[in-house]
Amino acid sequence: MAKNKAAKKSLKSGRLKTPETMFLDDLSKQQSFKYRLAQGFGVLFAVSLMLQAWAFANVFSDMALHQSFSLSFLLLGLFALLLRALANYSRERICTSASRDIRYGLRGKLVSILTQLGPARLRIEEDAALSTRVYEQVDALDDFFSRYKPQVFMVGLIPCVILSFVVPISWIAFFIFILTAPLVILFMILVGHKAAEANRRQFGVLGMLSNQFMDLSQGLSELKRLNQTHAARKRLSHSSEEYQRTTMGVLYLAFLSTATLELFASLAIALIALYLGLGLLEILPWQTGSSPVTLAQGIFLLLLAPEFYLPLRQLGNDYHAKQKAEAAATDLLEILNAASPEAATAQSNALSNTPEKENAVNKEAFLSLRDLSWLESGRHRLAPISADIFTGERVWLSGESGVGKSSLLHLLLGFEEAYQGQFFINGEPFSELDLPKWRSKLAWLPQTPEWVSGSIRRNLLLGIETPSEAELEAALIKSQCDVFIKTLPNGLDTSLTELGSGLSGGQMQRLSIARALLSHANVWLLDEPCSGLDTETADAVLETLNQVSKGKTLLIVSHDTHPITWADKHWALTKEGLHE
Amino acid sequence: MNKITKLSLKQLLFANFWGFLVPVIVGVAASLAGIGLLGVSGWFISAAGLATAMGVGFAFNYLTPGAIVRFMAILRTAGRYGEQVTAHNHLLDLLKILRLWVWDQRVAKDPANLHEQTRGDLLQRLVNDLDQIILWPLVVFLPWIYALISYMVVSILAYVISPELLLPMVVAAALHILIVPYVCGRFATHEVHVGQVLGVHRRSRFVSLFSALVTLTIRGHWKDYAKRLGQLDERQRKTEIRIQNAVSLGRLLAYCVTISLIASCLYLISHIDSDTGHWVLLEGIQGTWVVGFVLSIFAVNELALPLVQSFVAQGKSQVGLRRLNQLHQEPSVTPLPSDSLKQPLKQISLNNWRGFHASNGMGNTALDLSIKTGETLWIRGGSGSGKSTLLASIAGDCLSSGQAMINGEECNLYGNSDYQNHISYLPQSPYIFQQSIAANLRLGKPNVTHEELWAVLTAVSLADWVESLPDKLGTLLSSQGRNLSGGQRKRLALARLLLRQAPVLLLDEPFDGLDKATIKTVCHALQNEYTPKILVLVSHIDSEIGEDARRIEL
Repeated sequence: MAKNKAAKKSLKSGRLKTPETMFLDDLSKQQSFKYRLAQGFGVLFAVSLMLQAWAFANVFSDMALHQSFSLSFLLLGLFALLLRALANYSRERICTSASRDIRYGLRGKLVSILTQLGPARLRIEEDAALSTRVYEQVDALDDFFSRYKPQVFMVGLIPCVILSFVVPISWIAFFIFILTAPLVILFMILVGHKAAEANRRQFGVLGMLSNQFMDLSQGLSELKRLNQTHAARKRLSHSSEEYQRTTMGVLYLAFLSTATLELFASLAIALIALYLGLGLLEILPWQTGSSPVTLAQGIFLLLLAPEFYLPLRQLGNDYHAKQKAEAAATDLLEILNAASPEAATAQSNALSNTPEKENAVNKEAFLSLRDLSWLESGRHRLAPISADIFTGERVWLSGESGVGKSSLLHLLLGFEEAYQGQFFINGEPFSELDLPKWRSKLAWLPQTPEWVSGSIRRNLLLGIETPSEAELEAALIKSQCDVFIKTLPNGLDTSLTELGSGLSGGQMQRLSIARALLSHANVWLLDEPCSGLDTETADAVLETLNQVSKGKTLLIVSHDTHPITWADKHWALTKEGLHE
Repeated sequence: MNKITKLSLKQLLFANFWGFLVPVIVGVAASLAGIGLLGVSGWFISAAGLATAMGVGFAFNYLTPGAIVRFMAILRTAGRYGEQVTAHNHLLDLLKILRLWVWDQRVAKDPANLHEQTRGDLLQRLVNDLDQIILWPLVVFLPWIYALISYMVVSILAYVISPELLLPMVVAAALHILIVPYVCGRFATHEVHVGQVLGVHRRSRFVSLFSALVTLTIRGHWKDYAKRLGQLDERQRKTEIRIQNAVSLGRLLAYCVTISLIASCLYLISHIDSDTGHWVLLEGIQGTWVVGFVLSIFAVNELALPLVQSFVAQGKSQVGLRRLNQLHQEPSVTPLPSDSLKQPLKQISLNNWRGFHASNGMGNTALDLSIKTGETLWIRGGSGSGKSTLLASIAGDCLSSGQAMINGEECNLYGNSDYQNHISYLPQSPYIFQQSIAANLRLGKPNVTHEELWAVLTAVSLADWVESLPDKLGTLLSSQGRNLSGGQRKRLALARLLLRQAPVLLLDEPFDGLDKATIKTVCHALQNEYTPKILVLVSHIDSEIGEDARRIEL
């Protein structure tokens, strides 16, 4: 058994550890104290198991032979049973708490990473999908940490303890156990390995099936209009049946691993029962006339037989927990990795950021970029650029998609630290700037306006001191929001929800402008505020922007299709650099 | 399962009754074999020991019990295997039935509200709920049946040994099978429900906050908001702790029940012998049988333990079901098929007509409108004037007030599929399915020929693009047509509508994002080979069709 385990272990480490397994291992190490405590209770569990079997064996043997039993043995047995229940209870409590600590800690970490990533988080996924990762996927780790992980220890412990008690009693029973156990494990590995692979494939198919269901459901209005709902229903039904057919093919195989375990567990019990029965009758072919064990010993062995295989069976049941956790780990690692390489480059950046070019800084300029670039995994997200913006200047930044226009804005917002080169605000290096203070001067108008669910008023006043009604009114008039807000049934208290507000894209952008005005920010960063609008609306919004942003320092990213005619400067960004 | 009914757990069992009966029978057989294996083995060994002790070992018939033990071992294995396989087959059946149920409910939903359901991640949650619910028979019902029947069989054994044992057996069974799981289940259902409500709340707050992340950060208020997110998480954690403690405690209680059962049974069938201090079994009770009996109780205990946990799963299934049932639609009263809709559609007149959104009542100002065969109507207006809403209401996709006349007869347009058979409506953002290009087009005309497909693609000037793709018409489009540009998506949807050749064509901004040459091609097609009888166009772009069209300014 031990040898086999060692062999299994070497086999395991021989295979390359996937990042998922390493990630899960690291997480469980955080709670190593709790897991060790749980192992302690596991040992207590094993001890009480042996005690219980021994006490009951004596009770039973007396009962069969003498029609009577000793109360002390019975009480001992019942006490051991209680102890076993208590040990199990404590083990469960500790393991679930360990799992909770791991998961909730991880969740907090993920949220703070996403916060730090800022706009860059959308490179991983959209927000709704990210929330699935942060909540559902983290919870998918639960079974692994609360059940599978501690069970692995029990699988090693209990059979070893049982074997060590069996050796002095009966060599034959010992051999039955020790011969079946490796066979069970071997079969489990052989069948389980194949089944796991098939399972994974099947998991993928199930995902596709869910996807199909989602797709058809999302397009249901379209299908209704096309009068094709029946055809779609037939398709759903057909693919479900097809899935059922192929899955069952896989399951016949997958359950073989369960069946193997059951077979060996059952056969071992039967074999031991038969051997002991015949032995006790003294008619074993090789040992006629004498019994290899006493009745009490025989019953002791019989009681232990099912317990020998029980931990393995439980592990088999929890095996899917491991697969589920590994699948979730893949998604979570993507978020964690999105943060870590930047930390690494930030360090190298700190080294390379020697102020050799500081002399080139234009002290007059409000913002000056010096050889600012952004390398990510060897690829330029932003080619090195040098330029200045003076206070009150309005700059139009254009360029093809992917040249780093948005990246530049994200740098200015202070969300990315992995840049190379330097940039200065009023002659002060950005890295030495008081970030909250700098950010408080900014207004941010992205492609899709940023709204929390709540009333329009709440959104306008998001994070600023409540202004006077007159001031609010003035901002609304300037941004030309007053007209459509008056037509709303609840005016400013109309609620905006994620389900959409009924406001058009142009109206939403105007509200963003009103918010920017109210915030008294004097540096405006705009990322394609008109990309989702039709030409007519876009022109109107841009004209409003022109009116309200006079005197502000402004950097607006916009495609050539929506030229910013009123800008003081036009920067064209290309893969090579910046052209004024 | 009938389309009309609401869902209940009972229906899950009867949805495919015969399919479910097989795993039940096989599973019960396997469970009993498991108990029998242990019980008979215990009896066999002790009887063998006794026989030898009494010197009659040679006369002991060991063949029959030996055969029974082996039979039980094989039955248990085969039974478990059979149960797993058949139960999963049933589970997949359920998945199909439930999916189709959800589908039917959504088809029955009226168009304005359907849209709301489609947004957000509601659908994703539906799919997760389904996956949870189908597990119910497997993880809740089957283990419960096994425990119940095992208790019944062991009770028979108890009765044979001594009728007095029946009472503790019944009490223990009631505790194990009904009371402990019920109490834990009740508690868990409540907590699971709270947890899920919290979860939904937490998630929407997450999405809401992160969608305004940058603004909140630069205003320096992110920390406050993030803290509230953390508070929700903390509450979730507390519910989780309560559920897990209930499960652990329930299991501990189940153990205690077993301990008390063994103690009371042995107490009932024995009395103390004051000479030796040993407890002696009552007259007529066989020690060997008692050994078998107690071992069977151990085996039943193993079956009763998982029940506590399975009732938490029950709570999850119930909460999932409740959520699914919110989708439930009473079958809407289908409007009497009016005769006017059987005729070819010749004229649409709208009086005092106003289309508006269900959520906030915004829409166009009421107007009168009439259009008949051969006419083209161009609706124009500034942003926010409600031109798209008006078009959607004419398409019957959006709520409306006022009177509509079709061929001179009054008719309800909203969600009226008889009427909608006459029209083809291209919304502002049409949906493209994750299927091949050909399959997407075929939705317009199921029995379309290859030539027709290429012809219509040429008409919307997509033919060259499709030709350039490696898989041509068989190219799979990704989720929501993400690998298409906005213009391509629109034109593909338009091609699908053109194949339908409905007499009325309603187009919402069909030319957005198209260059002049393409607009010309599309207009040419609409004026020649694909001319509809009635064309209503909402657009802010000048085009050839617009030139001869009647114009309406909103």
